[in-house]
Amino acid sequence: MAVSTRRLQKELADIKRDGTPVGITLLSAEDFATWYLSVEVLGNTVYEGEKFALKFRFDGQYPISAPAVQFVVDDTYQAPVHPHVYSNGHICASILGSEWSPVLSVVSVCVTIQSMLASCKVRPAIPYPRVRGRSEH
Amino acid sequence: MSQSFPGDALDDTPSRPLIAPLAPMLTLREEYVNGSQGFVKQIDYLISEGWIGVRRTRGDGDCFYRSLAFAYIENILNASDTMLAATGALSVLEASQPQLEQVGFQRLVFEDFYDCLAGLINQVISPGPDGQVLNINTLLEAFNNPEVSNSIVVYLRLLTSAEIKTNPEIAAFLIHPETGEQMDPESFCNNFVEAVGKEADHVQMNALATALKVNVNVAYLDGHDPQGKVSFVPFQNAPFTFLEPVNLLYRPGHYDILDRRDADPIPPLFVQ
Repeated sequence: MAVSTRRLQKELADIKRDGTPVGITLLSAEDFATWYLSVEVLGNTVYEGEKFALKFRFDGQYPISAPAVQFVVDDTYQAPVHPHVYSNGHICASILGSEWSPVLSVVSVCVTIQSMLASCKVRPAIPYPRVRGRSEH
Repeated sequence: MSQSFPGDALDDTPSRPLIAPLAPMLTLREEYVNGSQGFVKQIDYLISEGWIGVRRTRGDGDCFYRSLAFAYIENILNASDTMLAATGALSVLEASQPQLEQVGFQRLVFEDFYDCLAGLINQVISPGPDGQVLNINTLLEAFNNPEVSNSIVVYLRLLTSAEIKTNPEIAAFLIHPETGEQMDPESFCNNFVEAVGKEADHVQMNALATALKVNVNVAYLDGHDPQGKVSFVPFQNAPFTFLEPVNLLYRPGHYDILDRRDADPIPPLFVQ
């Protein structure tokens, strides 16, 4: 069994047993390659009332290798307007790159992204940075 | 003609195995013959002191942890009393789990990595899934399987982190490697210990040697000693160990394993 499957099975069992933190919901986890979770930012923030979806993709070496994580951009969901999020959903976060650690999990990544959004006090005037063309969904 | 640098021999081709079979030190010397004579002198010094073999590792930022893990398990395998060495190592590891939980790592996060390392050590004394006890060939095989090898590296990183966070003597001396500023244990470990591929420095080495209760000697090759001598830096924090010390060879930015043999032994064909 791939190391990723073993770990993701445990993470899934944990989510089913203990639930997810407030504002985070598991949308789908049909296999051990792609999961979707929704993220809402709580309280009085620039994202009040908005719900975002994160797409996680795992290779066989997860959690030794980082998951690929991006915001879903489709008919239902938009990427948040945030200095570290591209309009096509790509996220610029060190923990998803050079500072990834196997100590992190799907839920802890969601929590980090949730607090990254929560700390944005002023909504950028224009969606930025703009990326041309359609996203890859 | 391109300029040559002392580290040129540290080529980092993906084809280099994660951990290579033991090779004569002369093979390393050959790589420097047309380059830094300072390194050649120091290699000759090592050879004259009986360090005739080197086990090369891939230069991927995990080389310290991988070298240490391999040499540590090989020492258990070669111990005069393997039962005592393996059970001693396993009890140290067993006791490390609560330490990891104490600093806030969830069991879920580390148990697969733990099982991988403990399983391999256990295989020194009791047959594994293939019905065989561990020998040098199967140990090399395991360490060249990225899944096994990287899982062990990750466990050692988490253990290093837990030791840094719980050992006040270490926690007081955490310095950012670039800025030289004092750092708190949490952010030091997040940035320089737990992240995969981050190289280990003195602090991490001292912490891991302490946590594993293993003595480590590091031979520093820098090409600069006027007499061509090599200084060995000892990390001797385990006065009561049954194991031989682990000997590592450092060249700027990279760790390999140092050995007094120049080739791996041929494992017995039949084990009674």
